[in-house]
Amino acid sequence: MTPQRLSDVLTGVTGGTGTVSGGGRFARATVDVPVAGWLAAVRAARDDDRSRLDFFDWLGAVDEQERGYAVLLHAWSTALRHGALLRTLVPRDQAVLDSVVPVYPGAAWPEREAHEMFGVRFAGHPGGLRPLLLPAQFEGYPLRKDFVLASRVAKPWPGAKEPGEPGAGRRAPLRPPGVPAPGQWGPAAP
Amino acid sequence: MTVPSPVGGTGLPARSRGVIGLLAENCTACMLCARECPDWCIYIDSHTEELAVPGAARPRQRPVLDRFAIDYALCMYCGICVEVCPFDALFWSPEYAYAGYDIRELLHERDRLREWVRTAPPPPAHDGRGEPAKQEVAAARRAGR
Repeated sequence: MTPQRLSDVLTGVTGGTGTVSGGGRFARATVDVPVAGWLAAVRAARDDDRSRLDFFDWLGAVDEQERGYAVLLHAWSTALRHGALLRTLVPRDQAVLDSVVPVYPGAAWPEREAHEMFGVRFAGHPGGLRPLLLPAQFEGYPLRKDFVLASRVAKPWPGAKEPGEPGAGRRAPLRPPGVPAPGQWGPAAP
Repeated sequence: MTVPSPVGGTGLPARSRGVIGLLAENCTACMLCARECPDWCIYIDSHTEELAVPGAARPRQRPVLDRFAIDYALCMYCGICVEVCPFDALFWSPEYAYAGYDIRELLHERDRLREWVRTAPPPPAHDGRGEPAKQEVAAARRAGR
């Protein structure tokens, strides 16, 4: 089935909005579904005779900043040899989504990872979303765009000097993304 | 066949990214590599010297390199510094056997980086089916005129 056909089928099956990704020969049918219908959409995409997405490939999240967190799920049909992406946009202030573990048990680890990295909660996840990779004491969600890179605060930038000047230059150095202004974050200078 | 390394030679292709060497004579301490480095692993110290040019009204100012160090404990071998250097002062070398017993040994200062330049392979030959080099075309045009 072509990605366009599969996209149309999944639009009818899940009640979402189907599109086709870029990528030429590697294009994927992509379906945007509302947060409330996430679990039902995933189940319908797996069980419908025309899509039959029986193989869970991966689940991941993207920080889309003020738009929220995009959660993506890629599944494949071993019988029909086609794949599709299901996508939903979780709001920032209430990042809760239904867990798809009842549909795909293999999604348990990717959901734990998405939770510890982005802070998206998966309601109904068995095992209570324990951290998968990070230590239990870790604070914060490291893949959120507003997460401060502590190592970039602890060390001065070697490129701040001007050519031919022994000390730091007069101009304020440009800060890479994730680096807060001096005095904004971390312990204050004594 | 397994070759004992480094005794038997590395057997690596010339384009291998083993270590970066510095030809300090070419370095103008312009700071471009230190600023582009994503890992912040290049440290440069320099000062300005006045150079009296005969016939010039005023002495010329130029930066002089005091220190150039690459911390291979941080380097991720992306090669952006080699790409960005406008004066061909940094070179890739396939040498890789510089492990140490202390992490501080991975901070290679200028004299050590100079040694790595000696192991850098010559640049690859010009592709016979490619366009002729712009410099050659310009030189031929000048010679013909």
